[in-house]
Amino acid sequence: MTETLAPPADRIRVRDVDLEVVRQGTGRTLLFLHGFHPLAPDARFLELLSRRATILAPSHPGFGTSSRPADFETLYDLVHLYRELIDGLGDDKITLVGASFGGWLAAEIAAACSHRLDRLVLIDALGLKLGDRETPDILDIFNTHPDTVRRRSWHDPDHEAPDFDAMSDDALTRHARDWDALSLYGWEPYMYNPRLKRWLGRIALPTLVLWGAADGVVTPDYGRRYAGFIPGARFALVDRAGHHPERERPDALADHILDFLGH
Amino acid sequence: MDAWWMCEVPYPHVPKDVLDAADSVRASLPNRWCDPRVAAGLFDEVIDEYLLCDEMGLNIGATEHHAGINSLLGANPMLVSILARQTRKARILSLGTLISLRREPVRVAEEYATADVISRGRLELGFVKSGGTEMASANANPVNNIERYWEAIDLIGKALTHQDGAFSWEGKHFTHRHVNIWPRPWQERFRMWAATGDPHTAAEVGRRGMVHTLVLRGHEGTRRAYAAYRTARAEAGLAPVSTDNFAYSAFVSVGDTDEEGVRVGEKLLWFLNTSLKSAPQYAQLLPGTAPPHIAGQAWRTRPKPQSGGPNLVNAEKGVATAQENALKLMSTTVEQAMAQGIMFAGNPDSVYAQIKKFHDDVGGFGHLTIIGRTGFMTHAESEKNIRLLGTEVLPRLKAIAPMTPTLEQAA
Repeated sequence: MTETLAPPADRIRVRDVDLEVVRQGTGRTLLFLHGFHPLAPDARFLELLSRRATILAPSHPGFGTSSRPADFETLYDLVHLYRELIDGLGDDKITLVGASFGGWLAAEIAAACSHRLDRLVLIDALGLKLGDRETPDILDIFNTHPDTVRRRSWHDPDHEAPDFDAMSDDALTRHARDWDALSLYGWEPYMYNPRLKRWLGRIALPTLVLWGAADGVVTPDYGRRYAGFIPGARFALVDRAGHHPERERPDALADHILDFLGH
Repeated sequence: MDAWWMCEVPYPHVPKDVLDAADSVRASLPNRWCDPRVAAGLFDEVIDEYLLCDEMGLNIGATEHHAGINSLLGANPMLVSILARQTRKARILSLGTLISLRREPVRVAEEYATADVISRGRLELGFVKSGGTEMASANANPVNNIERYWEAIDLIGKALTHQDGAFSWEGKHFTHRHVNIWPRPWQERFRMWAATGDPHTAAEVGRRGMVHTLVLRGHEGTRRAYAAYRTARAEAGLAPVSTDNFAYSAFVSVGDTDEEGVRVGEKLLWFLNTSLKSAPQYAQLLPGTAPPHIAGQAWRTRPKPQSGGPNLVNAEKGVATAQENALKLMSTTVEQAMAQGIMFAGNPDSVYAQIKKFHDDVGGFGHLTIIGRTGFMTHAESEKNIRLLGTEVLPRLKAIAPMTPTLEQAA
């Protein structure tokens, strides 16, 4: 029950959820699932990908200005929402790209319905519990001092981390709304699904796992092991990038992805 | 008016340089700084103070806070149960187990039922929303904290009153398919209290007819929250309630002279000035604690150039987070505290007069919950405070009868 509005509309409705979406480019459909915050409509990363594909980059329910029904609050809801969105697109298969929190989502969706996908790209993806019970894999961005989170999130925090003092009130409101939604979906277990690891072997499609070489939220070693659970997945590092290579190194990241897509 | 004495059992004995260096004195301060031998001494003193309250005719209350110097009462029902056995007359208010942090409300009901039976029906149930550092220390999702709060109250309430065999609970946050607690509580019905300053929660507290407790909210915040309670009842077509449904919690220090009451009372400000320090991730940056248009501003490292100060004005618009309230309180002096009605201090006549004036200013309340000992206040000072309260102030407070103002009168 997906209602797709004609371009250049920036909303998509899936059942009772109204999603803001960046839609640009032509050609095969590439669905990008964002991490802790949606990318801006003019993000260079999206623009680079849109030269070779139709980019669809929705803000998850509760993020940005996307609505979130009161009882919509789990990964389960998100997975089904995006499965329905994919089914409603009319494409035989689409390319799925997910970063960080959105990488977790992408892995879940791919494990559930890889027949609707032609390629999968995971960027600094969350979602797995790999360490022992006393060794967290994923930096707790909620319970850690913001200065530490900032330092561990970026290769070059002084140039790349957001400057909150320079943000508009609207941008700060969006930021806080994202933060609430992220907490709702990911607070516990913190940013992983204990069952996902078991089912990653179901992903039967070409998969590329990309990782910021300087990621201090989830380390490249976590990424290598993540890739190891997906049959045939390739792993590559993105130099001079932390947890958000789509913001910090959009050109290098897009090059990796476009190569992988066969352009 | 009834008076309830409370002590949070704070732990002020951490070196100042350690507290100054820590970015938070709750949640993350290592517990190696808590010497169990010192803590045992504190519990001894505080329990003796509660017993003295019982002797003096004061009711008593116990709070709960976690993992910090502000309070060693992480396990409220344990202290409540001790008081249930050791006291004889006082009504005992649990204010309260932080139920949105507890995974098993039915277990909380069992703990309360046990304490109620041991005390032969002297237990009163208070519920506090929690928040801040306690979301980290309890691994509790802050975004839907309030939903868990109300659902847990409903489940505990039903478990404590249902007498017809097992019932099933399949709620949003709690499932328990077979609830049938033993012992059955002594009381058939419990008076329930809730401590909250925000008008949205106050409205629900009003619709439920709970005793609405305001903690250190001063004249305006208290009046506004009581109004939200009364208005919500009126809008729901419910009968007006008497001032017995309202409570106010403040520091109280009674001395032989004004000078003594104020001098000792100043020690109580440790609670505000020292024990509230929280790192930003546990406070203003915690998800779910304020609407996004307010919460977003907390990410600024400095105030907006044109705003002329931190975003505390919201505290007066009824949308303040507890943290915003805390920020205002941290720099409070004793004179300010008394002027704002968050401390009543002086000789018995002065203290009574201050309480009565505040009572009249906010439209009346039937319960004064007294933050009677915190910080470096000594056992001897605390006992003197309790004795003067019991002999000199309480009889006059008891003479303030409940009243049921109309909505217009209350406003």
